Amino acid sequence: MVKTKTILIAAFIVMGGILATLLFFPSEEKKVKKQFTLFSEWVSKNPGESTFTMAHKVKSIGTLFAESCELKEPSLSLSGSYSREEITSIALRGRTYFSDFSLKFYDLNISLSEKEVARVTSTVKLTGKSTLGESADETRELVCLLRKIKKQWLFSQVEMVEVLRK
Amino acid sequence: MCQGMEGLHFSCKEFSPVVFAGKKVGGMILDHSSRNKKVRQFFLPPLTTRFFIRLSLISVSAYFFFSYICLPLRVQGNSMEPTYRNGGINFCWKLRYLFSEPKRYDVVVVRFAGSKVTLLKRVVALEGESVEFRDGKLLVDGKSIDEPYVRYPCLWNLAPRRVEMDHVYVVGDNRSMPIENHYFGRASMKRVMGVPLW
Repeated sequence: MVKTKTILIAAFIVMGGILATLLFFPSEEKKVKKQFTLFSEWVSKNPGESTFTMAHKVKSIGTLFAESCELKEPSLSLSGSYSREEITSIALRGRTYFSDFSLKFYDLNISLSEKEVARVTSTVKLTGKSTLGESADETRELVCLLRKIKKQWLFSQVEMVEVLRK
Repeated sequence: MCQGMEGLHFSCKEFSPVVFAGKKVGGMILDHSSRNKKVRQFFLPPLTTRFFIRLSLISVSAYFFFSYICLPLRVQGNSMEPTYRNGGINFCWKLRYLFSEPKRYDVVVVRFAGSKVTLLKRVVALEGESVEFRDGKLLVDGKSIDEPYVRYPCLWNLAPRRVEMDHVYVVGDNRSMPIENHYFGRASMKRVMGVPLW
């Protein structure tokens, strides 16, 4: 009886240890995923969002990008190298255009083949309503490169993939 | 001892109430009660090892079937109206093109980075063919194609273009919106995931 009890306690401790390790020491993949979650959270705009929240979100968006980030998004006339400030300004313009905006990432495939470089393919879905009342619903595939700079995964390249070419 | 019907006395050890009812009133009641028992057994089966093995096998099979072979999907948007309405439920049958290639007029499911968000479109041209829209009419290799599924007239114009190898040309059935607002074009065969089940 005592033996069973000891085994159960030991198993419980081991399980707790594994859970704590997973929670407090997340894998690199999880850290990369977290950046996408933050990006989605900060870009999205709820109707009636306060100025303070908006300022905080816009300011935070820049922290997810490297000093220089290459954007390849010809359909939005965004091609070339952009600084953090420029990206923040683009995000601000986009958020101002919409009264309600949501950006969600699906099917994140993270590949960490190179050292300190993560290549992520994902599907991004944008839904929203412009201040003029027009609805927007777009889905695209993105390929992003994130580099680990000062222990942080930062977006260094964002490219849109043409799934259907007219 | 317990009191039976019509003044007959039966020992409770000898006759269970069910058997008693069946013998006394007729086969109908016995069938009814046995059916009830079967229904109860079906919904509330005894928790035996056999039951758990069966349950795990069904769960694992269902998981693989609905994750890799027959994916549930919900139609969002109106690009395939009136064939597929917004909010409709369907399944993507992934084995459809295991031994065959998509044909013209097939409705196919096109994937993006994965299978969570997909596109539902109709194949209008195959590899090597030329596609063009002229005043809303679809022309393949210069010839007008009959499209009975298109209900809303349009005035789309698109210069001719050739479909590359291992590609198909897909368009939605609803062409009531301006051409710029409709997502269509050449899709790689690798992206064709399957077909909707109905």
